[in-house]
Amino acid sequence: MIWVADAAERRALIDSLPEAALVADDLPLRANLSVLENIAIVPQYRQNLSYQDAADQAWALLARLGQTDCALKRDPALTCVERFVAKLLRAVILQPPIILIDRPALLLPDIHYPPFLETTLQALAGDCEDCRILDYAWNAPLYAPR
Amino acid sequence: MERAPVRAPLIKNLELKVGLLLVATLLLAVGFLLYVLHARGVFQPTQELILVADDAEGVNIGMPLTFSGFPIGQVKRLDLTEDGRVRIHVAVPLKDARWLRTSSQFTLEKGFVGAARIRAFSAMLSDPPLPDGAERALITGDAAQDIPVIMARVKAILSNVEAMTASDSSINRTLAHIDTLTGRMTGDYGMLEGVLGGPDKAQKVVHALDRANTLLASLNGVSLRVDQTLAKADQRVFGSGGVMDQTDRSLAQVNAILGDVRESLKRADAILLAAQAAATNVEAITADVKGATTDLVILRTEVDDSITKVNHLINEINRKWPFRRDVELKLP
Amino acid sequence: MAIPQRFLTRVGGGALGWLQAWGRLLAFGARALVQTFTPAAYNSATRSVVLKQIYFTAWQILPGFLLFAALLSYVIIQIVVTTARAYGLSDFALEVSVRVVVLETLPLLTVLFIALRSGAAINTEVALMNINNEIRALEDAGVDPMRFEFTPRVIGGAISVYALTLLSCILALVLAYVAVYGFQLWSVGDFSRVIAKIFTPTAFLTLTLKSLLFGLAVTLIPIRAGLEAPRMLFFAPIAVLRGMVRLFFVIMFIEVASLALVYM
Repeated sequence: MIWVADAAERRALIDSLPEAALVADDLPLRANLSVLENIAIVPQYRQNLSYQDAADQAWALLARLGQTDCALKRDPALTCVERFVAKLLRAVILQPPIILIDRPALLLPDIHYPPFLETTLQALAGDCEDCRILDYAWNAPLYAPR
Repeated sequence: MERAPVRAPLIKNLELKVGLLLVATLLLAVGFLLYVLHARGVFQPTQELILVADDAEGVNIGMPLTFSGFPIGQVKRLDLTEDGRVRIHVAVPLKDARWLRTSSQFTLEKGFVGAARIRAFSAMLSDPPLPDGAERALITGDAAQDIPVIMARVKAILSNVEAMTASDSSINRTLAHIDTLTGRMTGDYGMLEGVLGGPDKAQKVVHALDRANTLLASLNGVSLRVDQTLAKADQRVFGSGGVMDQTDRSLAQVNAILGDVRESLKRADAILLAAQAAATNVEAITADVKGATTDLVILRTEVDDSITKVNHLINEINRKWPFRRDVELKLP
Repeated sequence: MAIPQRFLTRVGGGALGWLQAWGRLLAFGARALVQTFTPAAYNSATRSVVLKQIYFTAWQILPGFLLFAALLSYVIIQIVVTTARAYGLSDFALEVSVRVVVLETLPLLTVLFIALRSGAAINTEVALMNINNEIRALEDAGVDPMRFEFTPRVIGGAISVYALTLLSCILALVLAYVAVYGFQLWSVGDFSRVIAKIFTPTAFLTLTLKSLLFGLAVTLIPIRAGLEAPRMLFFAPIAVLRGMVRLFFVIMFIEVASLALVYM
């Protein structure tokens, strides 16, 4: 968990971690691709996989989070949870050293997000070693004490 | 591991359709390229025929060589020789080469509208076939081609006319001469003065003519009298101081006068000739001169007339009185 | 004193901006071309985008476009043939109609059609991608947007324009044959001679090059215009407008340049 006091501090923190893969509100999914394709495209590029192999990887990740229903949907049809999952998996499949979830309250406005984040990250254990959540200090009470 | 479902069937048979389109395009492109190459005769074994022409205006690459209206060859290349003639390389497919014989003629025809045509004529198909690389002259027959030649000639003519009309040209000088000539013609003695070069000389001619006329009248009288007296008195005639003496003197006189006339006429003739020559050369400006020469011709006829009369008279005298043969009159 | 200076500054700035925009367009085109011929730039995702681009640009409109092209070509050819006959120049009817239709009208018509349809669509899509920050997101996810989104579209667009031009031209050639000689095959020899005369290597190369340049222009310019839009939603229409106008001028420029090349 990273707590920041204001927007400037948040900006500075993001800039200090250039190696981190961001999951953020202002980095949308590719609108004309389905969730599955949005995730699969990363290994297609990074590892030069065929679409089928890349899609298998993406599907497996979705399956681990129980979100395969949304695999063929495109961005406007997604709920905020599905959209968040897609963005998160797009970062996970890249296998970056750090995954930085920026302001989860903005990404997941409709649910009590701290427990959801916890279960999601646990489900992905092994694929994201260093996953950090960046949130404002005033949201700290929402999180369960560790 | 669970397999991902096949891609969403957004587009059915995407790969197949696009593949079909690409293969069709590729095949058509290659096919068309081959067709054009074939049409351009790339795949046909050909033999070369070189046509040499002075001017390859209107000949372009790809132009057909026709025989009896059928294309049997194509122009492949044009180049210029050292002496400025054009060598037209024609490729003739081997299967069509049999229409070309050693005796074949080649013509280039051009109309005012439309492309030029190279045609082959083979009158004797029994002659030996034309060998590969043969060189033949290309005969050009062209309506438009003559125009530049004609233009060149017209230009030459125009420049001649220009030289003629220049202030110091010979024509102008001639005209000036004619001017003085016609000036003289307006003198007292008109044409004669003009022709003979001065009033005094013209006067002489007129006098000579007058004298000839009077002489003729008197001779007429004489011959009448002679006729009357002939039968009566032959001795009188032949005696001294007789008619014969008179006649002799008259004849000598006539001879002298006629000699004068002849001289004058010779000169008039020369001038007349010169004037006529000048008149033919400068047709355009010669209305005056023509008139003048017509006058001269009339004068000449008059003089001739008089002389014929004299001649006639003398012949008559000679016939009637065949004496003094040495007194001979030579008429111009 | 201040007014002329300001005016000059504005003119200079405008000209500079204009030049820079074209410079960026050329640089962008060069990058796309280099990537096109870099085998390493291809992967399953780019190939899929190329296929989709060709499908949307060429296949979807194929029947309608060919029908329209055939109709238009036939009408033009008939007009030329009839007029030529009326003037006693029927020898030239085929050559003139093929030159007019195949070498000039159809390539231009194809590219204008695709510019209106796919060019506008690409321009809008790229402008929206840019405004929504999807391009940044792709970069962040480790996907080069140039390789994934732009180069494949350029390739697909160029292939589509070339394919449609070729198909319509060959259709027009067949129609020209029918219009001039009727439904019989005896005149193929005459036809071939005229074709051989028209399609000199220069004409052939110019036609091919022209339609390839058209294909590049019809995708490169809209993409570039979309990318140049400031990242605000209300700039999307302006980006499309600018891209389309620029595309129109480039197409006309290519057409005139090709005419100058062939006929001068």
